[in-house]
Amino acid sequence: MTAPIPTPEEMQERAEIDRSARYPVMFLFTSAATWLLVSSVLGLLSTLKLRFPSLWEACPFMGYGRLYPMFLNALVYGWAIQAGIGVMLWLMARLSRSRIQHPTLIVVAACIWNGGVALGVISVWLGAGRSLPLMDFPGWFWPILALSYSLMVVWVFSMAGKKRSQGFYVSELFLIGAAVWFPWVYLTANLFINKYAAPVMGAGVDAWYVSNLIYFWMAPVGIAVAYFIVPKISARPVYSYPLAQFSFWAMAALAGWTGFSRFMGGPFPAWIPSISGTATILILIAILTTVSNLLRTLKGCTKLWEYSPSLRFTVFGMLMLAIYGFLNAIGSTFEFGKNLQFSHFVAGMDVLALLGFFSMTMFGAFYFIVPRITGTEWVSAKGIRAHFWLSTYAVSTLVLFALLSGFAQGEDLKEWDRAFSVSYVNSTPYTLGRCFAWVVIVYANFVFFRQLAQMFCGRGRKSAGPTLLHVEPGSVDSARAIEGIQ
Amino acid sequence: MGLGICFGLPWLILVVVPYLSAAKVGTFAYSEGDHPEDGQKVYPDPVSQRYGSSDYGRQVYAAEGCAYCHTQVIRPTYAGPDMWIPGWAGREGGKENFARETQPEDYVTEPVALLGYQRIGPDLSNVGHRITDREEMHRHLRDPRELELEGGMPSFRHLYRRSLTGEGVEPTSRADALVDYLLSLKKDQPLPAAYLSRN
Repeated sequence: MTAPIPTPEEMQERAEIDRSARYPVMFLFTSAATWLLVSSVLGLLSTLKLRFPSLWEACPFMGYGRLYPMFLNALVYGWAIQAGIGVMLWLMARLSRSRIQHPTLIVVAACIWNGGVALGVISVWLGAGRSLPLMDFPGWFWPILALSYSLMVVWVFSMAGKKRSQGFYVSELFLIGAAVWFPWVYLTANLFINKYAAPVMGAGVDAWYVSNLIYFWMAPVGIAVAYFIVPKISARPVYSYPLAQFSFWAMAALAGWTGFSRFMGGPFPAWIPSISGTATILILIAILTTVSNLLRTLKGCTKLWEYSPSLRFTVFGMLMLAIYGFLNAIGSTFEFGKNLQFSHFVAGMDVLALLGFFSMTMFGAFYFIVPRITGTEWVSAKGIRAHFWLSTYAVSTLVLFALLSGFAQGEDLKEWDRAFSVSYVNSTPYTLGRCFAWVVIVYANFVFFRQLAQMFCGRGRKSAGPTLLHVEPGSVDSARAIEGIQ
Repeated sequence: MGLGICFGLPWLILVVVPYLSAAKVGTFAYSEGDHPEDGQKVYPDPVSQRYGSSDYGRQVYAAEGCAYCHTQVIRPTYAGPDMWIPGWAGREGGKENFARETQPEDYVTEPVALLGYQRIGPDLSNVGHRITDREEMHRHLRDPRELELEGGMPSFRHLYRRSLTGEGVEPTSRADALVDYLLSLKKDQPLPAAYLSRN
């Protein structure tokens, strides 16, 4: 089955929607990519500092305890959320067939967001951090970010509320979910941690916030992208709409219970981490349902993956989501959790979610959206291929080494009569490997940033066809890919 | 509506109710003859959980990102090996064994408990018992590899300045406060019978 060919009127409508998205979405994308590059450098520096603690000792600003939270916050608030908002706006505009309203206001809000993130990251650098993962910015920052987020995402709601002849697309469901849940999670975490003193619950709410940011915001946005791109490029409808709805509601019902299992055995009432661990295991069902639904949609035309950069990045991102869900479920059991908790595994899981799943899916969306809103094509297919393979190898290496190191660290701590430093020494080869992986990630993200900046500056390639990773003249698959992408 | 219920239920049950109930911390008196050697009358005893400028020291600890490498949580034996590691869970080896897993009330003097992210370094729940000498604690911060050559602890030399006499270095107020905070970390206050029966 192939998708209906759009009429000239529909093509015209799409072009107008893309034009309305040009400035706000490109601004969000380009500033997000800048933050991605900054955070990659910070990730490299923090891992170097972890391996070589005597580096830059005299400099107060180069400690691991400052560099790592800077990396994490820049990656999430600078890159992930901005990229996600840009994708949400464009996708909702396309799906609801509405133009983006008030683009200037969105650009102003994005400027405020960028200013807030920059101030927050600099505050952590200058020594005003709070040692609470992803809540490191000083307490008075959050209203700035909440306000600018609202000014950008409110238009997602207005577009979703538009009268339509048919029901919501699957992607729209996920986008609306993300738009509703994130402000709720963000406000809860900030109000509780900043306003009410309940020390241990404060730490628990921070862990709950991190988990909900992944499952209630990044996962829905990433899945929305996948449910848009996979059918679009394969020119097929989603394999099963009921399955997609099931996975959406299963995720919605379970995600809010996750997070506290990060402190399994910690000073909480025992039922809280237990219920959280159970939800983390059960949510794997929702993730696997989504991924299998997408793969079945692609069944028989997986060769398209060789041609379409959007499809390749998106499918890889979704496979990473499945691996993340699986490892997270394993880490939430007592059997494995007691060894992996507080080990390098924790950092590895964060990198897997942020760089392995979310970033790769966002790259897929960028490669699809940017040519449409700029009216030009990516400069180099070779650059895209390099970006994909370098990112894939480096992120996989980074995650694998963090996980192996986590297992090794857990085993070392079980030998309770050994000096603690043995666990540090034994993790050295893995940490060194992570340093090399970070060098590659920095380069890969630089390649991506350079291509995006060229598009932003209007130096994209003028071409009638899309940029494919490989083009074999006369090949059926190649022709189908072109047809699907257009 | 459905979206609200899906999120609202765990939000209420898992976050709001436990948070608000945890915000009301009670104290538990020791029964006759149950008084710990340290002279505390109640658990938790905020006075013994503070030392010098430890409140400011906690801010320095958070600002330097210490919680990204050190935890402050002792898990029960079914959830990890913390209780077995010498010195981590509290005072051991004397007439009485004070070692125990951490309780929510152990963090009563802090706005948010810094439970930690990873264990690149050892757990610090009871570091105030392991290192009791102020100067030794300063050396751990200033020249950590003098004490442990292969450890991963970086030097916090920037918290020290050249002394006025020109010989050696002296701690800044931030270093002193951080040392106060670390010396105050003693999460092994004996639990009164009233507390244990409550749980």
